[in-house]
Amino acid sequence: MASRIEIYSPEGLRIDGRRWNEVRHFRCAINTHPVSSDGSSVIEQGNTKVICNVIGPAEPTLRSRVISDRVSISVKLVVAPFSMIERRKRPQNDSRIQEMCSSIQHMFEDAVIAHLFPRSQIDVNLYIVAQDGGVLQACINATTLALIDAGVPMYDYVCACTAGMLDREVLLDLNRIEESAMPFLTMATIGGTRKVSLLQLEMTVQFDRLEPMMAAAMSGCHHIRDLMDSEVRKHGKSRLERGSF
Amino acid sequence: MPRDLTPSTIENTFVLKALTERTRLDSRSFNQLRDLDISFSSTDYGVVDVKLGRTRVIARISAEITQPYADRPYDGLFIISTEISPMAAPTFEAGRKSEDELVISRIIEKSIRRSGALDTEALCIISGEKCWAIRADVHFLDHDGGLMDAACIAVSAGLLHFRRPDITIVGVGSRREVILHPITERVPVPLAVLHVPICVTFSFFDVRKASAAIAGLPGKDNMKEADDDDVEEENDSSTTVLVDATLQEELLRHGYMSVTANTNREICQIQKGGDMPVEVGKLLSCAEAAIMVAEKVTKLINKRLKEDEARRNVGNLLVEARAENDR
Repeated sequence: MASRIEIYSPEGLRIDGRRWNEVRHFRCAINTHPVSSDGSSVIEQGNTKVICNVIGPAEPTLRSRVISDRVSISVKLVVAPFSMIERRKRPQNDSRIQEMCSSIQHMFEDAVIAHLFPRSQIDVNLYIVAQDGGVLQACINATTLALIDAGVPMYDYVCACTAGMLDREVLLDLNRIEESAMPFLTMATIGGTRKVSLLQLEMTVQFDRLEPMMAAAMSGCHHIRDLMDSEVRKHGKSRLERGSF
Repeated sequence: MPRDLTPSTIENTFVLKALTERTRLDSRSFNQLRDLDISFSSTDYGVVDVKLGRTRVIARISAEITQPYADRPYDGLFIISTEISPMAAPTFEAGRKSEDELVISRIIEKSIRRSGALDTEALCIISGEKCWAIRADVHFLDHDGGLMDAACIAVSAGLLHFRRPDITIVGVGSRREVILHPITERVPVPLAVLHVPICVTFSFFDVRKASAAIAGLPGKDNMKEADDDDVEEENDSSTTVLVDATLQEELLRHGYMSVTANTNREICQIQKGGDMPVEVGKLLSCAEAAIMVAEKVTKLINKRLKEDEARRNVGNLLVEARAENDR
C-alpha cells in the first residue's frame, strides 16, 4: 500500500504536509477524569489518541503486590476495537500489548520516586482510542501527565518520540503510513537530559543511520517535554486562580 | 508457585564492589563474551547445541509442507517456538508465560523473523497451494544468563545448518503434483538465509547506586544526591556496561539493552525496556560493540559449519551429487 504513496516529496514535504523535523499536532489535557481517578490525562498526537487514568498511590488490593521498600506499579492497556480502520477486537494477552505494558511499567518504576510510597500500589490504565502510529510514545507521554496530575513525585518528565529513516532522510514523529514504510525507533528520555530510558527499534537499519535517527528522536522528546510542561503549568495556574484543588 | 531468585545482600554487595574495582567474578573483562561452544548433531540437519558459559540451549529446525496463508500466497511459513520449561531454571513455570519469557520470545522473534533472516519467498512451492513451513524449536536446558543471546545464536546457526528434502514439481496447471525426494535419495537443499543476526545483551550498572549498596546505605539517599547533580556531570563514568552477563549479574543489574546486529553492519533490533536511563553516546557505542561481537560469533559459526560439512562429506560425495550450482 505504502509504495504507491509518496512518503517524502522532493520538495521536503511529507504526506501530511510536515517537514522532516516537525512533530504532529500535539494536544494534551490533564485532570480530564477527576471523579473516576486520582490523575488523568488525554493526549492527541496527530490522529493518535490515548486516555490515561492513574489510581493511587493506594493500599494494595492483593498481598502479593506489596513491595516492602517501594511502590508497585501496574499498567493495563486497552486497545479500543474502533481504534483502527477495520474494527477488530484485540485479545488482552496479545504479546505486543504485554510487551508495551511491561516497558511502561519498568520505565515508571524508575521514573517515580518509588521509595516514598512503600507498601502501596499505583495502577495505570491506558485506553488507546485512536491509533495512527506512535502508540507507544503516546502511551508514555499520557502516563507521565496522568502521574503528574495524581501528584506522584517524579524525578523528571518522561517523554517519548519516534523517528524513522527513509533512505537517507530522517523523519520525526511518524504516522501509521510512514511507520509501515520505513524502519523507525521509539525513544523515551528523562526530561530534557540526554539520558535514554527506553529505546526500541524493530526493523533492520544500517548502523551509520542510527545516530541521526537517535539525535532526531531526542530533539523530538525534548520538544514534547516543553509542550507537556507548558500544559501542566497552564493547568496549575488556572487551578490556583480558581482556588480549588 | 516458585519465586524469583533474589540474591542475598552479601552477594549483592560483593558483586557490585568487585564491579567498582573493575573486576567480574569470573575474571572476564567487561566487554568479553563467555566461552562459546557450538556443536551440530552428527545425524540430523538443523540440530544445534549452543553452550554460552554455563547457559545451554538446543535449537531444532524442522520443515513440512503446508498451505500458505490466503493473504500471502507467495510466502512460506516460519515459526519460532521459544517455550521455557522449568528445566532451565526453577523460576520458570511450565505452561505459564512469565514476563521474562515474553521478552525473550519477542526479542528472538524480532531479531530473526522480522529482520528477514530467512527468505520466506524461497519457501514457496506452488503459489497459494503449497509451501514449506519451517519451524524452529528452541529448548532452554540450563540458565546462567544470556538466554536470548544463546537462543539467537542457536536459531541462526540452525538455519544455516538445516537442509530440507529436495522436491520436483510435475504436471501443469491444476494437475501439478509435488514429488518429495527423501534425504537418502537426493542431496538435501539448504535454506535461503539472507543474513545471520546475532543478539548481544548489555547490562548496565549504576555505580552510584552500587556504591550506596556497598556502604550499606539504602539506595534512595544516594539517588537523591544523583538527582541534585548537574545533568552534564552524570556522564559516562557513572554507568558500567557489561557484555554477556551471567545469571547473577542479570539479577543484580539496574538496566539492560539487547541489540541484534549482523556482519553487514546492520542493526536488526534494539530493545531497551525502560529501566535505568543511560546516556545516548553509551548506547551508540554498545550498538557498535554488538557489531564486533556479531562478526566474531558469525566467524565461529561458519568455522563450525565447515568442520561439520567436512565430517559429513566423506569422499566428496555431497558435492558431486548436488543438483544446484554454487552461488
